[in-house]
Amino acid sequence: MIEFHSVTRRYGDKVAVDALNFTIAHGELFALLGHNGAGKTTTVKMLVGLLRPERGAVRIAGYDVTASTREASQLVGYVPDQPYLYDKLSGREFLQFVGEMHGLPPQEVVAAIQRESERFSLGPFLDDLTESYSHGMKQRTVFASALIHQPQVLVVDEPMVGLDPQNIHLVKDLLRAQASAGVSVLMSTHSLDVAEKIADRIGVMHRGRLIFLGTVTELRELRGGNESLEDLFLSLTSEANAQANRPAREPTRENGE
Amino acid sequence: MTPVETPPLPDYDREARLFWGLRRRVLSAHFNQLMTTARFRTLLVVLLSTLFWAGLFALFYGGFEFLVRFVGKPGAQNHALTVRFVFHLFFASLNVMLIFSAGIILYSGLFSSPETRFLLTTPARAERIVVHKFQEAVLFSSWGFFLLASPMIVAYGLVAEASWGYFVLFLPFIVAFVFIPCSLGAILCLAIVYRLPRFRTGVLAIAALGAILWAGQSIWVTVRSPQEKLFGSEWFQETLRRFQFTQNEWLPSSWLCNGLLEAAQPTPLSGVQRLSELPIVQALMYLVLSATTAQVCQFAVVLLGKRWFRTAYSQLECRPRRRRKARLAIVDRGAELLLSPLSRPIRLLLMKDWRLLRRDPVQWTQFLIFFGLLGLYFLNVDRFNNPGSDISYLTWVNMVSFLNLAVVGLILSTFTTRFIFPMISLEGRRFWVLGLMPVKRETIVWSKFIFAAIGSLGPCSLLILLSDLMLRVSTLVVVVHQLTTVLLCLGLSSIAVGLGATMPNFREPSPSKIAAGFGGTLNLVLSALYIMAIVVLTALPCHFYLIAGSSPMHETFINPKSLRLWLIGGTAASVVVGALATIIPLKRGIAAFNKLELY
Repeated sequence: MIEFHSVTRRYGDKVAVDALNFTIAHGELFALLGHNGAGKTTTVKMLVGLLRPERGAVRIAGYDVTASTREASQLVGYVPDQPYLYDKLSGREFLQFVGEMHGLPPQEVVAAIQRESERFSLGPFLDDLTESYSHGMKQRTVFASALIHQPQVLVVDEPMVGLDPQNIHLVKDLLRAQASAGVSVLMSTHSLDVAEKIADRIGVMHRGRLIFLGTVTELRELRGGNESLEDLFLSLTSEANAQANRPAREPTRENGE
Repeated sequence: MTPVETPPLPDYDREARLFWGLRRRVLSAHFNQLMTTARFRTLLVVLLSTLFWAGLFALFYGGFEFLVRFVGKPGAQNHALTVRFVFHLFFASLNVMLIFSAGIILYSGLFSSPETRFLLTTPARAERIVVHKFQEAVLFSSWGFFLLASPMIVAYGLVAEASWGYFVLFLPFIVAFVFIPCSLGAILCLAIVYRLPRFRTGVLAIAALGAILWAGQSIWVTVRSPQEKLFGSEWFQETLRRFQFTQNEWLPSSWLCNGLLEAAQPTPLSGVQRLSELPIVQALMYLVLSATTAQVCQFAVVLLGKRWFRTAYSQLECRPRRRRKARLAIVDRGAELLLSPLSRPIRLLLMKDWRLLRRDPVQWTQFLIFFGLLGLYFLNVDRFNNPGSDISYLTWVNMVSFLNLAVVGLILSTFTTRFIFPMISLEGRRFWVLGLMPVKRETIVWSKFIFAAIGSLGPCSLLILLSDLMLRVSTLVVVVHQLTTVLLCLGLSSIAVGLGATMPNFREPSPSKIAAGFGGTLNLVLSALYIMAIVVLTALPCHFYLIAGSSPMHETFINPKSLRLWLIGGTAASVVVGALATIIPLKRGIAAFNKLELY
């Protein structure tokens, strides 16, 4: 469903994403992990059409995100790390706009708003201007807007930031339920415990490169022992750091280098 | 892989309707909110704008009446030449300003707004997003144009007794015209970000500097001609020749001017052989030309937006970011030296505010531009002086010198409203930094006051001194002006800081929005009243004292003793008003800030 083919993106001389290759299948929940500046957000931005790959291609259900941006966007629900809501629109008006922009006929939008309102308990404040919403209310509205058109792909960037335990629980259940319903979910996160609990597969990014791709169990087998994902992640990235910082060996006559 | 089944995406019409619906809902919510929560502020803004419009109208009306009386009636050759010159120069200048303002506004709308970032993740067409933001840029950049141009056009129509067609056509002319330079600004904005994303600031700076230098040089050459030739026939011809290019037939501003001037002409009763010779038909032809060009230009914006916008956005986001290192500049060392007599907590707070100001060019460049323009005007104000010493000349010099003082005060009040008033509110957002330090709350308020007073006193005193020196006013006026400047700077700083502490807005992160709130509006109104009170109290007695002193008739009508008393009384009263305006707001501000509960 989601394909990254040798995708590279630089910021000037700095390589933010370097020859990224991976795919996410239908119904798979994929967690993208990495330190700050590892390239997660750049990857997500290329997937949702905000940035264009310098090399390679990003595809969603066969649509190239650069060449067929509209068609690809129609299939995606996106929850950014800093969500945007129009201050002077009510939650209902915002959802209506997003739904119709994704091609839903007006009567279907009404039903979809009802569905999402029930799912996220938006009823009590749905007709208030969003400027009066708390962080949690905003986050729930943004999730509703991402799902209003029942997307094939759900992209969430740091979904747990600023949420209370109840909402975190709600989001975890929601992501798992979406994946079970056949949606491909890409979640970029620092919450390793959440990733460990709900992700089918994880990808660990370090300095723009994918240094691990697989399940948590596979990572444990690779590293040996029965450590938590947090410990595995830290040892994996420290090793990658050490490798990257190791000076290049001097050529010697003995080995002919 | 087979693409999945999805409902059809909105076609062009439906997408346009969705965006218009979005704008309508947002505007309607804004309007309802203004009417329920900020009715007073809205009415005040409408009232002040109407007053501003009426003032400009009176100015233009007076100017055109002067033209009719002393240069020639409508239809006379000199009248036509002068009006043509004024219209073409005025609209050609606004043409350039519209290109810059639309380009800059569109840049911030397209490339640094969270709304655009959101829209780019929806299936909205790139060109629709560009058009959506372009409409905003046209509106925001042209309302000032409308406020400046409409009183001039109406005033000329009334003075020249223009036909009804003139008044009917001037609005469509303005609308058609503004789209052309705004589209050009938009195209340049898109092209620069698409082709030269890394050098966009440099390109803009070079273009703006070039335009300013060129305009400055033209004005300088015009007013620097020998004194005896100034405003003479030769000077006038030379000036017309110098600005002839503004009447170029290819300029959209020329179509607007020619169309309006044609529409203003009366319909000839005889001698017209073809319909196209009628002035109103000529005007309509210019309107059609402007409107069709505007449509073509907007179409170009749509086309280029479709091709360039997404790539340009991505390129700009991925540009290399320079690290901004904090360095201890020489100016910081100078500021530390200057502030050394103050107590350590106040000094530290002042240095913090100074560094924040120094590293935010948006703030100090505006200050620099406005005071720079004023300085340029003051440097040239002596060009209009008269070697004679008749009473009307002396009256004029005194009046201009006090008007200059009032202008400096008014500009300073806009700065204190925009930059000083929101300072406490912004500090409140970072209050955990200062709140955890062993600093009294009143020290924070005092530091803001000292910062504003010191920061404004230097440039304002220098500007007023420059104006006085160029006008060659008497020593008495210089002394009175310097005293008034001190009173203005202290009073305006105190009003802004005091009101800012009494009416803080901790929810709003944007200083411009804080300044635009009720507190900011009140600050602006109170500042204007204070300036008027101080200038009238010091200017009127001083003015009459000097005029009466230079007239042989004065002793017959006014007792010199009472004039002297008036002068002393006026100055003393201004000092009292100044002291009250400094002490009361500051005291109230400190009391309010001490009681404030931050959560």
